[in-house]
Amino acid sequence: MLSKLLKRFTSQNKKNSKNDAKRRLQFALVYDKLEINDSTLKDLQNDIIQVISRYFEIDRDALSLEIQRDDDASALVFNTPILNMKRK
Amino acid sequence: MEGKIIVITSGKGGVGKTTATSSIGAALAMQGKRVAVIDMDIGLRNLDVIMGLENRIVFNIVDVVNNRCKISQAAIKDRRIDNLFLIPASQSDNKDVLTTKGVQRVAKELKKEFDYIIMDSPAGIERGFENSVVSADEAIVVCTPDVSAVRDADRVIGLLYSKSIKPKLLVNRIEPARVARGEMLSHEDVLEVLSIELAGLVPMDEYVLTSSNMGLPLVLQKESKAGQAFIRIAKRLNGETDLPIEVPTHKTRMWNTISKKFGFTK
Ligand SMILES: Nc1ncnc2c1ncn2[C@@H]1O[C@H](COP(=O)(O)OP(=O)(O)O)[C@@H](O)[C@H]1O
Ligand SMILES: [Mg+2]
Repeated sequence: MLSKLLKRFTSQNKKNSKNDAKRRLQFALVYDKLEINDSTLKDLQNDIIQVISRYFEIDRDALSLEIQRDDDASALVFNTPILNMKRK
Repeated sequence: MEGKIIVITSGKGGVGKTTATSSIGAALAMQGKRVAVIDMDIGLRNLDVIMGLENRIVFNIVDVVNNRCKISQAAIKDRRIDNLFLIPASQSDNKDVLTTKGVQRVAKELKKEFDYIIMDSPAGIERGFENSVVSADEAIVVCTPDVSAVRDADRVIGLLYSKSIKPKLLVNRIEPARVARGEMLSHEDVLEVLSIELAGLVPMDEYVLTSSNMGLPLVLQKESKAGQAFIRIAKRLNGETDLPIEVPTHKTRMWNTISKKFGFTK
């Protein structure tokens, strides 16, 4: 009797746990796709430097490129000190 | 006409690739096609024991790719099912022993000799995976209804897309009673998460283990629900595209009629 009751209670957690599974999966897959591996990030950084260097003189050692994540959005943040404008 | 190469793959291991390869291969052969099943899991061969052919191995797929023997010398003929052949993996090499170039050459030859070539790919996304998918015309991604298998399936699906292969999904080990209780992801849930076309649904079934114990083809077990599901999957692959996908149910037919009579279910 008691064990039956206990079972009732514990099975409350199991019940509809698939909804948790589905929700968590949907989030996980979105995040997985936003992840960029280090070598891709490095390539991107080099490309950006090339383009920017056409217009500005920048401090290559001080720049940073990273992906910032919030609960519902991601941003690519590129930060670089500008040393000089290149006159054309 | 040229044969077709279908690769059976997954992100996570142990989800049923080898079971699917042997069963779909056997079912296609029973439908009159000339079929080769190939174990691409180099170093961890399994397909041979599952099919009960482990005592008859002479050459393997590494021998074929490295020109040590002809395809016909490595292909083991199944004694129970006509037109079914197995090319086993080698057990002593590691996965890097095959080159994609070599695999592509052999794939071309295989397509001349067989209607269907079913490749059992190793789990994961490394060299072994690359070698298995390099010549594939079609791909079936296998997953089970749990979070890790589904997530890893998504990764593999993405990789296949990047190789211009549009895979289909096989959901294996479905437990209908638990799905009904909301304890297990339904195939609809999985499809919604992965947005992919379905190849078929296979229930959890005790016959899978017992036939593998004996090295017997699952598809020859008339009472095996998984076996019957694989036969239907093979039929659809083989052109019977109108054949509806059957959703595993947990009630017996008798229970269904009784419950309908008494109004338990609508
Ligand atoms: N539909 C099923 N019902 C019950 N057991 C299954 C089912 N499919 C696979 N299995 C079991 O799961 C295990 C892994 O299956 P296997 O086909 O070897 O997976 P993989 O090749 O992906 O590693 C085996 O023990 C097999 O018997
Ligand atoms: Mg396997």
